[in-house]
Amino acid sequence: MRKVVSTAAVCSVFLAVATMAADNDGLTLPAGFSAVVVHEGQGQARHIGVAPNGDIYIASRNGLSAMRDTNRDGKPDVVSTFGDVKGTEVRVFRNWLYVSDDVGVYRYALTKGQLVPGGARETVVGEFPRERQHADKTFALDAKGTLYINVGAPSNSCQERDRQEGSPGMNPCPILEKYGGVWVFDGTKLNQTPANGRRFATGIRNAVAIEWNAKQDALYAVIHGRDSIDSLFPKLYNAEDNATRQAEEFHKITDGGHYGWPNTFFDTKLGKRVLAPEYGGDGKKEPEAGKYPDPVVAYPAHWAPNDLLFYEGKGFPEKYREGAFIAFHGSWNRAPEPQAGYKVVFQPMKDGKANGPYEVFADGFAGEMKDNSPRNAQYRPVGLALSPDGSLLVTDSQKGRVWRISYEGK
Amino acid sequence: MRTRFFGLSALAVWGLTAAPSFAAEPAPGQLLYNKHCLACHQADGGGVPNMQPAIIGSSWVKGDSRALALFVMSGGFDSASRKESDVGNVMPPFRQLADEELAAILTFIRQKFGDGASAVSAAEVAAARPSDQDPGTKKPESGS
Repeated sequence: MRKVVSTAAVCSVFLAVATMAADNDGLTLPAGFSAVVVHEGQGQARHIGVAPNGDIYIASRNGLSAMRDTNRDGKPDVVSTFGDVKGTEVRVFRNWLYVSDDVGVYRYALTKGQLVPGGARETVVGEFPRERQHADKTFALDAKGTLYINVGAPSNSCQERDRQEGSPGMNPCPILEKYGGVWVFDGTKLNQTPANGRRFATGIRNAVAIEWNAKQDALYAVIHGRDSIDSLFPKLYNAEDNATRQAEEFHKITDGGHYGWPNTFFDTKLGKRVLAPEYGGDGKKEPEAGKYPDPVVAYPAHWAPNDLLFYEGKGFPEKYREGAFIAFHGSWNRAPEPQAGYKVVFQPMKDGKANGPYEVFADGFAGEMKDNSPRNAQYRPVGLALSPDGSLLVTDSQKGRVWRISYEGK
Repeated sequence: MRTRFFGLSALAVWGLTAAPSFAAEPAPGQLLYNKHCLACHQADGGGVPNMQPAIIGSSWVKGDSRALALFVMSGGFDSASRKESDVGNVMPPFRQLADEELAAILTFIRQKFGDGASAVSAAEVAAARPSDQDPGTKKPESGS
């Protein structure tokens, strides 16, 4: 009798463990993939970087943290906070940890075997003007150390009076002189200011998700599209239009390119680029043909693309190679229509172009999201990184949760 | 008696859950809030983390009605009571709205998000209205 009871107890424990492992922490994933929580609690996490030895670095609104899994159970057991940088970007490049906040890009020297950088913070580019809107200086680095910095526009649509009903767009938009584009610097030089950079591409409202594609030897970005076409131009657009029409545009960013902000936006309903209402748009009028490139892919409005990663690992099946993962933080400007986004999407790609429609890769982050209010989202995915073992790490800005998504086959 | 008790409580539960779809037309203030304010401050007044502030329980919303009216008509950012990292977007001025419209909105948000603070009249909005009537000549205060 005693034996029977204990067997039953053991069985139920096994069942519980199996259920926990199988539920992927509530996330929905394609068949064969699984998700586990590796950490939680580093504040409002933003982007995430991984060193070749698997050490994890997380940027957050609360500061930087470093984590190491010394006992190899897949979860960091050493967690330290360090430095004084509160921002979004963090990348391991050569023997350096590059990070950024709203006004600069910095780096710390990494010492072999040592998790937390011991040396002082060095400024790579400093003195960007302090702004409130779209201020995160996210960046990408190519193999040579060229630094591409996203300098978001502190504006919605370059209106004479920002976000005010009916206000016309400034033409030409003076904001584009110093913002609304990607500026390029030598990422190996120190103590630069914005004046040392060169405007690489313009007409980019805010590209939090910016990434160098090594295989294509090219820069890519997913851009946050404009807000509020309905409340600013109620005679042209209604709330449903605003919730659905202004694409989040995925572009290959080339030297000298203009990607259409603030003059235009890509209208997902019409499937083409249209003039913004601030710049003579009437809901369907198009810009001069060929003036601005069409996106590689147009994603639904307001999904908020906050990180981009080209999968260069070997852990995932063949179809994921060359493709892109995009973390969508989720909408606020869709209200009163239902919010959307809050997921990680996989974009099949070949030769640097889309190779089929996007696929929802990881979903279920937001939970029920009471009152359709983003603050009530359970989690909001924001950062992506590739682990040396080929798994994908995803961060969340609500609770600082970090997941590892692995492929286990079948 | 017992049956009646259950019947009433069931009715009450039904009434609570079904109320939104059966309620009479929302108050004018709510409709105007939905049109001009909801996208940023959200239906629950909770705002959006790091983007727009919550107005639930806000001392501005609960406080002096003329100061509130002036703030909404001037736009801007309350740098005195907010940390820089809390809010990304600066509120545009809503001077284009009529006294009656603003009074309805302010009455609604005080009642719903301001612990039932007193209604605001069109006369109070008119008295608070900045002398500069052109909504474009005054740039919103950028906070820092």
